[in-house]
Amino acid sequence: MKLDNVFKKTRLPKRRSAASADAAKPEVPEGLVRKCNMCKGAIIAEDVRDGLYICPKCGGYFRIHAYRRIEMIADEGTFEEWDRGLATKNPLKFRGYEEKLAALQEKTGLSEAVVTGKVQIEGIDAVLGVCDGRFLMASMGEVVGEKITRAVERATRENLPLIIFTCSGGARMQEGIVSLMQMAKTSAALKRHSDAGLLYITVLTDPTTGGVTASFAMLGDVILAEPKALIGFAGPRVIGQTIGQKLPKGFQRSEFLLEHGFIDGIVERPQMKETLGRLLKLHRDSQKESKTADGTSGFSAEGQSQEAETRHKQSIGGQRPQRMENASAWERVLASRKKGRPVGSDYIEALFTDFVEMHGDRYFADNQAIIGGIARFHGIPVTVIAQAKGSDTKENIQRNFGMPSPDGYRKSLRLMKQAEKFHRPVICFVDTPGAFCGVEAEERGQGEAIARNIYEMSALKVPILSIVIGEGGSGGALAMAVADQVWMLENSIYSILSPEGFASILWKDSKKAQEAAEVMKLTAEDLYRQGIVERVLPEPEDYTVENMEAVTDLLEEQMEEFLAQYGDMDGDQLAQHRYDRFRDM
Amino acid sequence: MIKKVLIANRGEIAVRIIRACREMGIETVAVYSQADREALHTKLADEAICIGPPPSSESYLSMERIISATVVTQADAIHPGFGFLSENSKFAELCQQCNITFIGPDAQVIAKLGNKQEARNTMVSAGVPVIPGSKDAIYDAQTGAQIAREIGYPVIIKAALGGGGKGMRVAETEEEFEQSFQMAQKETQMAFGDNTMYIEHYVQHPRHIEFQILADQYGNIIHLGERDCSIQRNHQKMIEESPSIALSEELRQEMGQTAVRAARAAGYVNAGTIEFLLENSGKYYFMEMNTRIQVEHPVTEWVTGIDLIKEQIRIASGKKLSYRQEDVHLTGHAIECRINAENPSQNFRPSPGTITDMYLPGGKGIRIDSAIYSGYTIPPYYDSMAAKLIVWAKNRGEAVRKMQSALGEVIIEGIDTNVDYQYEILNHPDYLSGNIDVEFIENMQQQLERGQMA
Repeated sequence: MKLDNVFKKTRLPKRRSAASADAAKPEVPEGLVRKCNMCKGAIIAEDVRDGLYICPKCGGYFRIHAYRRIEMIADEGTFEEWDRGLATKNPLKFRGYEEKLAALQEKTGLSEAVVTGKVQIEGIDAVLGVCDGRFLMASMGEVVGEKITRAVERATRENLPLIIFTCSGGARMQEGIVSLMQMAKTSAALKRHSDAGLLYITVLTDPTTGGVTASFAMLGDVILAEPKALIGFAGPRVIGQTIGQKLPKGFQRSEFLLEHGFIDGIVERPQMKETLGRLLKLHRDSQKESKTADGTSGFSAEGQSQEAETRHKQSIGGQRPQRMENASAWERVLASRKKGRPVGSDYIEALFTDFVEMHGDRYFADNQAIIGGIARFHGIPVTVIAQAKGSDTKENIQRNFGMPSPDGYRKSLRLMKQAEKFHRPVICFVDTPGAFCGVEAEERGQGEAIARNIYEMSALKVPILSIVIGEGGSGGALAMAVADQVWMLENSIYSILSPEGFASILWKDSKKAQEAAEVMKLTAEDLYRQGIVERVLPEPEDYTVENMEAVTDLLEEQMEEFLAQYGDMDGDQLAQHRYDRFRDM
Repeated sequence: MIKKVLIANRGEIAVRIIRACREMGIETVAVYSQADREALHTKLADEAICIGPPPSSESYLSMERIISATVVTQADAIHPGFGFLSENSKFAELCQQCNITFIGPDAQVIAKLGNKQEARNTMVSAGVPVIPGSKDAIYDAQTGAQIAREIGYPVIIKAALGGGGKGMRVAETEEEFEQSFQMAQKETQMAFGDNTMYIEHYVQHPRHIEFQILADQYGNIIHLGERDCSIQRNHQKMIEESPSIALSEELRQEMGQTAVRAARAAGYVNAGTIEFLLENSGKYYFMEMNTRIQVEHPVTEWVTGIDLIKEQIRIASGKKLSYRQEDVHLTGHAIECRINAENPSQNFRPSPGTITDMYLPGGKGIRIDSAIYSGYTIPPYYDSMAAKLIVWAKNRGEAVRKMQSALGEVIIEGIDTNVDYQYEILNHPDYLSGNIDVEFIENMQQQLERGQMA
């Protein structure tokens, strides 16, 4: 049955038509509803204000005024503004510039495009700078550069961490070469801040481009970004016009940068304050650690190495009944590769708290075969880096079966250098069949990346502990095992090459892998006897995440001892110790 | 006076409101989603505006779109019906800001009564009985037992973060209390990672009794008697009737006055409903106040002779109530059965689809409020209520027989409905004798499963 135009409509009384003009008409008052410039939907302005300036329809992020941003980040009432009235000159005597500035100052209530000052975030003092895009697209002229430089200098003087929320069209054209110089001025100040061992975090917001990207935005120890922010040097329109090509979807967005290794992470607005607070705390605690006056660290120095040695012998002697005893080397090779064996991420979860993953090598990519970040071990900040196999096929594909690319090694080195700057011990978990073997890996310098890691690790001025938890495949493993001590799980292996590779090179027959395994001396016990590794940790016969505690309990205890022993040594001592360790091999 | 109403709803209630408006000489605007192009309300209204795609979040719940439609059509009022935006205080406030009359109470009143704790406090200070319970969180059995003694057994122990019956235990006596408390707390700890508990009086075998009230802008408030909505499944009402045989005239007057007091304490204007739980002993407790027209309003309309939708519009137009309390008399007995597109034998799974043929009963004392017609396709996006069958007779016995007869005539082909299930209820001995409480359906379901019913 079709019902179109069958029903009679309401018949209006005659008197109606004349009277309708007087009544108040329904209308939407100015400012009640606004249009989302991303999804084009109509949204209620109040919902946007109450919802951290996120579109309730499409989840897109609106740009935020500087003072509103500070309110969202700072502990209430803690913001103390610096250099508020700093006035802009007109260095090029550019026509109309002064009038334009005056009009903007009037309209926005800002004196310039950046607000700086001191705040507390979750109770921790920090210097904060926030760019405001309403003011000439937060382009950097002399005053922006000056305010940032002053804030950085004062942070250095007062020993404070620094956070800058960036947003900018780039250098300010109206101030010409003077603007360009601000890139150098700000960066130079940041170098001194960093050399003083202080933490600098940048949060890139939409849009961060041009001279700001190419200076203070990209210099953070930790670089975070809001989702989908446009971040780049040259703007997409300029690039598109120059090369005459359509740019790929998502080009120069935060997610693109994450994938290409330039940022540590994307943080949603509701989690921003908590994330910053957590990072500040992790860094504050390790700073304190390094500065205790009497030179002792927070680790208890009770664990004597001899005592540990005895315990080690006990553990290897087998108080745990269901171990793989008298297994052949080949059986151990198979066990080290077995599906279901705990992988790097399992150890991170089991042994550490507060893990914050850091991404990217800052050159080309974020390699998923290596996971790294900051975490706490027994409350003490450490840098954790793990070669990561997947726990299922899908994750294994994503993580390239634990075979790192050069980008992975460069990421790990970046994190180790940061650990050095902030006096954090480094804990590495080694589990790789080998460094990734492929054309792209060679193009980007696999050999160089491994060499560089070995070279830099040899003299890193913080303790390094490497634990082989599965396969320790050749140079790909060594690039994360130039450590003060190297430990192995009972059924892990560590060798010059895979048994298959060994057999194929020496005997031209990869099927003789089993035979190769026996002669290669690659088991933990063999390597312990040769003095290549310091410790072997027993593991259950059928080792999985379920019975992992048997290993991690012991590991935890021994890690504590390791940190107690090495945590007190100064950087040069550590480097010397590491030098000697390998010098004798 | 309101001249044009936009109905921010769909289904039978939209149709009901369009009809009332038409009788009052008020123009109507229907809004519809893309799934409701062929819906009856869309066809019946004087104007109809599409407000978005099928999901209600993007159509019937989209405040901006509904406000836009109102501005575009220059309607001066919005009737929200029930469900959707009807109890959304923000929407009511938006209407006010946009110079649109919201047919319902003020935004602040909706907000206040929508907040459980605030509503409870309002009622306590107005002397409306609420279920006695612990004021503070309880963490140990000793403190709990002491409070339980003050409240009076039986008590129910609940998780502060509770939901889905987890961490909930009833203790009938003091002897049982400690063990029940510890079990509930353990369960709570496991389920929510928290051990904060509350205790309240456990209302045994209650009836769901609600009072309809009307209040104008001049402080006149009347009640229109009660509805007994004890026949419900998972808090979804299935059958409602007025009056309730559980209420003596004396209790009716007492509860009615309590309801009026509750409405006055809340500063209520327009039609509203105060829900109570009524114990066998005659003790009753406030549950919540619904700040909208309700599905079951026709039974009240029939026993009082008052058109509730028209009264709502009149009140919103600033008129005084047309009735005083002494004008209200409950005459005869009315029963409503909700006819849903669902399959009772498959756990009441919704059954959207095309109605290939249908026949609905009529005659003296029978009313149908529905939005379905032969050839209509019930879309899968919204609730499954397809029609309401309401009967009236001079007493309950006759009304029950009329409902049995009417249900026996309903034919809806092409989809599954709960008509036969309703017919079973109407023939259940406990229903016939009026021996019902909120556990009726659960009990009947168990009897059906044990094969104890014919």
